[in-house]
Amino acid sequence: MPAPIYLDNAATTALDPAVAELMSSCLSHGPKGNASSGHAGGRAARALIEAARAQVAARLRVSPEELVFTSGATESNNLALRGVLAASRQEHPQLITSRIEHPSVLATAKALERQGVDVILLGCDAEGVIDVDALRRTISKRTALVSVMHVNNELGVVSPLAAIGAICREHEVPLHVDAAQSIGKLEFDAQALGVDLCSLSAHKLHGPQGIGALFVRAGLGVEPLLFGGGQERSLRPGTLPTHQIVGMGLAYELADPSREGPRLERLRRLLWQGLQGLEGVRLNGAEALLAPHILNVSFARVEGESLRLALSDLMVSRGSACTSAAELPAHVLSALGLSDALAESSLRFSLGRFTSATDIERAVARISAELPRLRQLTALAPAWCSS
Amino acid sequence: MDYSSEVVRRFGSPGRVGELAKDLAGVVAGAAEDRSLSVWVRFQVQILAGRIERVRYQVYGCPHTIAAVSWVAEWLEGSEPEALAQLDVQMLAKRLDLPVEKMGKLLRIEDALQACRHEWKQTVAS
Repeated sequence: MPAPIYLDNAATTALDPAVAELMSSCLSHGPKGNASSGHAGGRAARALIEAARAQVAARLRVSPEELVFTSGATESNNLALRGVLAASRQEHPQLITSRIEHPSVLATAKALERQGVDVILLGCDAEGVIDVDALRRTISKRTALVSVMHVNNELGVVSPLAAIGAICREHEVPLHVDAAQSIGKLEFDAQALGVDLCSLSAHKLHGPQGIGALFVRAGLGVEPLLFGGGQERSLRPGTLPTHQIVGMGLAYELADPSREGPRLERLRRLLWQGLQGLEGVRLNGAEALLAPHILNVSFARVEGESLRLALSDLMVSRGSACTSAAELPAHVLSALGLSDALAESSLRFSLGRFTSATDIERAVARISAELPRLRQLTALAPAWCSS
Repeated sequence: MDYSSEVVRRFGSPGRVGELAKDLAGVVAGAAEDRSLSVWVRFQVQILAGRIERVRYQVYGCPHTIAAVSWVAEWLEGSEPEALAQLDVQMLAKRLDLPVEKMGKLLRIEDALQACRHEWKQTVAS
């Protein structure tokens, strides 16, 4: 049986061997101290952590002092939303986000809503582009935070961050961006974009799982979620995991979008060229606005679970991996207006550093072979199975 | 989702898929669907001299449903027409090791067979 083809890099990526080696070395031979300790071992660990912090900060073009290490982007999103809203002096604060955010933002927004926060969910058009005009109409003195993702994790559509940032600046409202899917694939300049908070992950760009960071612009009020230590400016107390942080630092240094972006985009175009000629195939999301590494495609007249079993040698996601566990049609595809049947039969292909043109060609060949086979079963199926 | 070896085998090679020729004698058809369960099933059954000669089907559904329809089509061939009313979905679920949440889909298979039987009864009566 041929080796499976991994095209699920938006869910997680393989650890870069150089990162693995560095982490292993850190665990085996690295400093023995807690980075908060004042002795030599602690100072050595602290030095490694601060070097890694600088590596991560350089990728965002921000000051290292403005980065807080967390367990990952989900925690960062929670800290950004809950932390800023808790620090807000508004009597009835408002949070503006969009319907197509990651569940870690939407669920946090829902929890805040239960606590009395006025939550506004911006819609998107049929191609997954966030409605900027709705933001312009909605933002007000009560708005404590605007939160949008840079690249949609299901569709790959790049948000109109420059326009959103300009509106936020005009109204002096802080802007939070979940950049878990974009860093390393797209250039990201937090200063130029007017971003005040930015959630980061390591494992989405060939770093270790279980470590991430939140950029918090100096001077911005954020309340911590956890208490009991002074680490990370008291915003995220707890012993810092040195080996994970050094792994994240190297992963960020290696993830050069000027090199990776064009290569991934060539592969994504190759994939779409191979698929778009097949019958009943639809690209979800604005093609001109896609990030280099994500392609979301619906396959009409094929039931989703059957499609996934038929293509079980392709490691891809239906919608987002987080949604997959729930066995529900992806909320993002529903927001685009797709029927449940079409949302169900959608696959998200996401490419990474170790994806090759051969992988793409094999994936296209497998899909080209399985689609007609599955559609023999549904030749006379009613219209709802295909629209 | 885990699948039994029988489900995987039948999903990969379901057999009897398609349509019977329009001019064949003794052919009845029946379909059933449930959009909320993402399932649609259509059987064509050729009944000659009190015996089910041939079965063909179309199905939109999950691998369990496809495997179940494949099994039912095979089981029907060679049976008496009354078999159309005798599908034991519990037995079918057990035989294919289907998860309990798929039972609703099996009931749609049963409905499609009942629709075939209804058409056959009408044919016989006329």
